[in-house]
Amino acid sequence: MLEGKFDEASLLKKIIDAIKDCVQLCNFNCTEKGITLQAVDDSRVLLVSLLIGEEAFTDYRCDRNITLGVDLSSFSKMIKCGNNEDFLTLIAEDSPDTVLVVFEDKNRERISEYSLKLMDIDNEFLKIDDMDYDSVITMPAGEFAKIVRDLKNLSESLGILVTKDTVKFLSEGDIGSGSVVVKPFTDLEKPENSVKVSLKKPVNLTFGLKYLSDIIKATNLAESVTIKIADKVPALFEYKLPSGYLRFYLAPKFDEEE
Amino acid sequence: MGIKGLNRLIADNAPTAIRAAEIKSFFGRKVAIHASMCLYQFLIAVRQQDGQQLTNEDGQTTSHLMGMFYRTLRMVDNGIKPCYVFDGKPPLMKGGELEKRTAKREHASKQIEELKEAGTLEEVGKFERRLVRVTKEQNDEAKHLLSLMGIPYVEAPCEAEAQCAALAKAGKVFAAASEDMDTLCFETPYLLRNLTFSEARKLPINEIKYETVAEELGMDRAMFVDLCILLGCDYCETIRGVGPVTALKLIKEHGSLEAIVEAIESNPKSKYVVPEDWPYKQARELFLNPEVKDASEIELKWSEPNEEKLIEYMVQRNGFSEERIKAGIEKLKKGLKGGVQGRLDGFFSVIPKTKEQLEAAKKKRSDSSAASKNKKAKSAAKKRK
Repeated sequence: MLEGKFDEASLLKKIIDAIKDCVQLCNFNCTEKGITLQAVDDSRVLLVSLLIGEEAFTDYRCDRNITLGVDLSSFSKMIKCGNNEDFLTLIAEDSPDTVLVVFEDKNRERISEYSLKLMDIDNEFLKIDDMDYDSVITMPAGEFAKIVRDLKNLSESLGILVTKDTVKFLSEGDIGSGSVVVKPFTDLEKPENSVKVSLKKPVNLTFGLKYLSDIIKATNLAESVTIKIADKVPALFEYKLPSGYLRFYLAPKFDEEE
Repeated sequence: MGIKGLNRLIADNAPTAIRAAEIKSFFGRKVAIHASMCLYQFLIAVRQQDGQQLTNEDGQTTSHLMGMFYRTLRMVDNGIKPCYVFDGKPPLMKGGELEKRTAKREHASKQIEELKEAGTLEEVGKFERRLVRVTKEQNDEAKHLLSLMGIPYVEAPCEAEAQCAALAKAGKVFAAASEDMDTLCFETPYLLRNLTFSEARKLPINEIKYETVAEELGMDRAMFVDLCILLGCDYCETIRGVGPVTALKLIKEHGSLEAIVEAIESNPKSKYVVPEDWPYKQARELFLNPEVKDASEIELKWSEPNEEKLIEYMVQRNGFSEERIKAGIEKLKKGLKGGVQGRLDGFFSVIPKTKEQLEAAKKKRSDSSAASKNKKAKSAAKKRK
């Protein structure tokens, strides 16, 4: 039996909104430690990895491992029915056919219940090893989102160039080119505005802006985003949750060898 | 044309091998396309409103050029790198099948004559399509167009499907694209269907993975080829009365065509009759060791389109709209530019499923198929009432 109660429905709403455009059919794996999800988009370029830790819930219990196969576009319609401040509780039996979503209004005596039919989703589970990254950037999530949105107007690819103490985002297209340079910066009053860059090796990589614009849909979830990159391996974009994380692994673009 | 009923058989018995995907998700992939069959499709499908083929000012057919140009463009636009493979001489054993096709054509042309007297335009059109065949000139025109577009093509020594599969097996391309299911017998790692269809039909592309097919059916290559011969291929006839279900059962039971033939012949009560001098061994040989060019020696190169000559050929010679051809050329150029998007494959390893998971999945599948069988039985029972 799974029973997980969120203090505010908005957290789950934001999470689903952040991932529903890149992956559609997902298995939520519920264990006693929390809920995890792993899914790869159709083109096998972007991997979504989510952990909602037990502490993100006000009440959480899950005595046996349960898999919930969910169509996110349907799920998202349902969880939009609740107000952002409502309590939201997910309830499922041990081998469930449906998952129950219950909203409780905190001010009024109103309870709404929705039940979502589950699906049998056959997907493979990937093992993600800890990798050695050449460079790690932490910056305000909003700022990163703006860079992606702005440079997307120019081209389909975004270059990320990390040299000693500077990060340069650049794109070149038919109408012209643009670049944004970000340098490390510490804001003592508002630490979330700080930019941190740690560098083992200079990095020069290119990513598809189509995928980056899917990633920045998670911007609302966290103050800052951490970008870990290394040559020729998928980059990691991480948004920290109150307890847990939402991670995106994105394969880079490269010039053809021929 | 292909293997009779193989698509259904795979869909029923190895459903996980087929994946429906949008054309977008194949970006960056190189694909070998069975050109001769595409041309045939285009000649049939690309028509004017009155059902006549497109022609240029001299009255020569241009349907195949139109199809070749725009369908290739659609692929390039979606980031796919196509390469075309043309049929060479047909293998001797295909003679029977080819004769049949010629007979059908003659039959159709007779019917047209009759219909011209009495029938409607629509009916005449229907039979006219059966007359379509790709001429040598049309093949050469298509090759000329491809070379102007900067798209590579390969001339197979024999069957194009076999060459497509050889290219895919050697890793020169990701998949073979053909509507012919017999491409699977040549062991292409992936077979794409519906790739060259019109966008307007909104059909998803079916990706069939050979490895999963073989695994799910529990067969090795030889068994799979034997199964296909039993289902009905282009090279020889089959045992009368053996349909897909029986074919699968027989192969699973006996393991090879030799054993099946022996079992049938040694059992006088058997209701099946093996054709006399059945050349299944030769057919099998054609599937297992087809005549192909060594794929490792084939260089596939995608290059810039030759703008000037393309316009001359398509616009001046064949009467296509200059504006549209120019827009197409821009797309071709754009498709070549820009880095290739990498994939996650290879970076992360797949965690193998635990035995319990596999068994649970199997059980579920058999449950659901049993349930659907029950339903069928029920509805049949109802009907009987």
